[in-house]
Amino acid sequence: MKKIVFIILLLISISGFAQVPSGYKMVKDTSAFKQKMEAQSKLINSIESDFTQEKYLSVMSEKIISKGHFQFKKVNMLRWEYIAPYKYLIAINKNKMYIKDNGKLNKYDINSNKMFKSINEMMVNTVQGNLLNNKDYKAKFYENEKIYLLELTPTQKGAKDFLKVIQLYINKVDYAVEKVKMIEPSEDYTSIDFSNRQTNQAIADEKFIIK
Amino acid sequence: MKNLLLSSSLLLLLFYGCSFGHYRQLKETNVLTTAYPKSIFGDNFNSFLFKTNITVYKKNFSGLLVTKQLSSNDYRVIFTTELGMKMFDFEFKDSTFTLHYCVPQFNNPKLLNVIKNDIETLLMSNLLNKKKTNYEDKKGVFAIQQIKLQKSENYYYIDKSSGRLTNIEQAKKSIKKTTFTLSKYQNDFPENILIQHHDINLKIELNLLKK
Repeated sequence: MKKIVFIILLLISISGFAQVPSGYKMVKDTSAFKQKMEAQSKLINSIESDFTQEKYLSVMSEKIISKGHFQFKKVNMLRWEYIAPYKYLIAINKNKMYIKDNGKLNKYDINSNKMFKSINEMMVNTVQGNLLNNKDYKAKFYENEKIYLLELTPTQKGAKDFLKVIQLYINKVDYAVEKVKMIEPSEDYTSIDFSNRQTNQAIADEKFIIK
Repeated sequence: MKNLLLSSSLLLLLFYGCSFGHYRQLKETNVLTTAYPKSIFGDNFNSFLFKTNITVYKKNFSGLLVTKQLSSNDYRVIFTTELGMKMFDFEFKDSTFTLHYCVPQFNNPKLLNVIKNDIETLLMSNLLNKKKTNYEDKKGVFAIQQIKLQKSENYYYIDKSSGRLTNIEQAKKSIKKTTFTLSKYQNDFPENILIQHHDINLKIELNLLKK
C-alpha cells in the first residue's frame, strides 16, 4: 500500500514538474516580482522597438515571417507597423484606431467595436508587460537566470476558443518584454521578438495620427 | 415609381441580356487541345503566401492567405490577420471539404460556402474527367475551355499568344456569376488574383508575397 501511495505521489510530482517549461523554475515570490514590474512600468513614458513576427502553422513547412517597427507613448498611443514583406499599419490614439493597408486608410472608434477594444487592450498591455492584473487571464510565473517567463491563460470563454496561452518573456535586468508568444489551442502560434528597444525617447504625437 | 420599376426591369433585362450574349459570342472549336486547364499552383507541393483582402458588403477583412499542397489532391488553405490571428482553416481533399477552424466573423454558412467555392475554383484540383468543350472568342485571342461542374459551368480563358490562364468565369445557366482575373505573371505565376462576384457584393484580392 505504501508503495502505491509513493508511486502516485511521485507521478503527481512529475506531472507537476512537467507543467514548468523546460529550463525554467517557478518564481517563489510573485508579489515582489509584480511590484518590481509595476514600478518599472511607471518609469516608462515611451517605448520604441523593431519586431520580428513568426507565424507557425503546423501544416506549413516554413514559418511566415514579417518584420516591422513599433512606437508606444503614454497614455494609450501605439503605432504598430509592418514593413516587410508587406506594408500594414495599425495605430491607436486614445479612443481612435487607424488601419492603413495598401495606402488605404480606415478610421474606427475603438468603443464602437468589442473586437477593436480587445485588440487595443491586448496590444497596449502586451508591449508594456501590463497583463498581470487583468482578470481575463490567469497568470503563472517562471524564471531562469536571465528571463522571467509569464504564462497567461485566458479565463473568458470567447478568448479560450482561439488562445490557449500567452507567454511573455521578460528581461530580468530592465523588465523589458523581449518576446511574446501566443499559442492557439491547435498549438499553432504567433511569436513576436523585439529588438533595438529604446525607452523614454521623445516621440511626437503626430506619429499616432495617421493621414 | 412605375418609371423606376420599368427602368430597373429594363436594366435587369439588359444585364441578363449581356450575360447571355457574353457566352453566345463564343465559337465552339474542335482543333484545340484535349488537355484540361493546368492549375496555377502546379503539382509540386509548394506553399504560396498572399496578402489578401476580402470585402463583403461594407466589411473588409485583410490578412495573409497561405495555400499548401499536402498530397496530390489535398490542399490546406489558411487565412490569418496580419497580427497572426487565424481567421479560417480549410482543407480540400479529393472532393471532401473540411472546415478545421473559423472565427465567429466567418461563421456564416452562406459566406463560408462562397469563399470555399472561390478557393476551390482557384485551386482547379478537381477538373479531370468532367465534361469539357473547347471554344474560341470572336477575335481569336483566347482559347476557352468550358467545364461543366455539378452546380456551374466554368470558363477558362487561355491567352493564345502567352499560353497563360488570364480569366476564369463561373456561370450558372449561362449567366456570369463570378470572374477570376489572373494578372501580373512572373515566372509563370500570376502575382495578382482578383475574384469579383457579380450577384453579391463580395470581392477577394490576392497579391503574392512568396512562393
